[in-house]
Amino acid sequence: MMGGYGDVQLLRDDGLRLDGRKIDEMRPVSIEAGVLPAADGSAMVTHGLNVAVAAVYGPMEAHPRKIQRQDRAVIDVRYNMAPFSTSDRIRPGFNRRSREISKVTAEALESVVLVERYPRSKIRVEIEILAAEAGTRCVGITAAAVALADAGIPMRDLIVGVASGKVEDTVVLDLDKAEDNYGQADLPVGILPNTGEIAFLQMDGDLSPDEFNLAMEYNFKAAKEIHEIMVDALRRRYEGGEV
Amino acid sequence: MPELVPALLRQELARLADEDKRLDGRGRWDGREVSLEVDCLYNAEGSAKVIIGGTVVYAGVKFELRTPWPDRPTQGSLMCGAELRPVAGRKYEPGPPSPESIELGRVVDRGIRESGCINMDSLCIVPGEKVWGIMIDIHVLSDQGNIFDACGLAAIAALRTAMVPAERFDVGEDHRLEVNGTPIMASFTRVGGRYVLDASEEEELGGDERIHITLGDEGHLHSLQKGLKGVFTPAEFAEIFEVAQQRCVELRKLVAEKEGN
Repeated sequence: MMGGYGDVQLLRDDGLRLDGRKIDEMRPVSIEAGVLPAADGSAMVTHGLNVAVAAVYGPMEAHPRKIQRQDRAVIDVRYNMAPFSTSDRIRPGFNRRSREISKVTAEALESVVLVERYPRSKIRVEIEILAAEAGTRCVGITAAAVALADAGIPMRDLIVGVASGKVEDTVVLDLDKAEDNYGQADLPVGILPNTGEIAFLQMDGDLSPDEFNLAMEYNFKAAKEIHEIMVDALRRRYEGGEV
Repeated sequence: MPELVPALLRQELARLADEDKRLDGRGRWDGREVSLEVDCLYNAEGSAKVIIGGTVVYAGVKFELRTPWPDRPTQGSLMCGAELRPVAGRKYEPGPPSPESIELGRVVDRGIRESGCINMDSLCIVPGEKVWGIMIDIHVLSDQGNIFDACGLAAIAALRTAMVPAERFDVGEDHRLEVNGTPIMASFTRVGGRYVLDASEEEELGGDERIHITLGDEGHLHSLQKGLKGVFTPAEFAEIFEVAQQRCVELRKLVAEKEGN
């Protein structure tokens, strides 16, 4: 059982969270598409204090050859945290955590991109976390989805990264850093907002079936809100003007 | 193909150079628009974002407590590194640090270090026991030419706006890092046979050697680097050195403006 940090109070006496949010309220999100001129598609997502940038290159020839698939494109994702993105500096380079996140993110994106349109090719998705304050894998997924759309790559739907969790036996939406560190559960998912399907799922901690259902309900609610911001960012990009 | 395109591009660049023109219509010593933002990342003790044309670079400053070297018991340390990750462009591949990224980080590092803008003795907390180590990490997100100047500018702007996180390490109160000077880099690339300031991606692709000059507040030289294949004459250097002086004054002014905000 997690949550052995009884001395850390995460919910205030008035029922609000430490940063003043309601239990089903997400942190502010803003998105900009087309931020990296060198890339075929790109996006920057600011989610609370998190900042993630995604760049998309391709479709291009798949290298090395052994990764080629005869019937579809492969999506090559690299999730990376900048050395200055966390409180303690991170040594540059891949680690086990970023490898795992890259793998499951790639599989989630392959589930929404129409990969069968580009046999034997590769689509590179680079996710760079510039500031990390809990929930970066979800912010990275959201950024990657907008960057893919910005690159003009056909997709069945967008995919939105969101997370809910549990603190002090209460299910809350969108954990911040303290809640992530001292909370009891974390449930990050990647939701297809139009079809209602789920393409990314991880969880750790302790949730009862009822708590799980409530956390998913919160996630779907937040996905809808973020989806609107994603679409708005893409619309501004296509119109090419300020809103 | 990879050889053919630059060959055609080289011809075109040479033709334009004869008419004293550049691909994007700039004058020989004109830089692209530069935008600088400081203090833009929550977890970095100092941060800066630089956009030069289509080149986008971030720099972040972190501090650590370390034991000083035995022969320099009162001196802290400064380290500056650059990462050229695959995010930066189609040509970049994953893998261990490339010679290019190591050169980039080291040239920026030398300019800052040799200008003396950081007094290493001011980083001492307990002589022989505890000193600050400063780490500047530069992250190139989009390379559309002249990443050196963008990295140099981002690094010094992040450093000059950094807060020393003493409270988090339980060694006193947080305070602004003392930085005495603003070393600035100006880079020149030989394109169509003559040097130009702030080369674009196409100019670099169809160009030759490059020269990086880092100047301090008084116009003194603090770091020089010639990169890639090619030679130059003292007269050519004298010419770009004059331009570098002006360019550095302009960019230094930009850093001062952003610091004031």
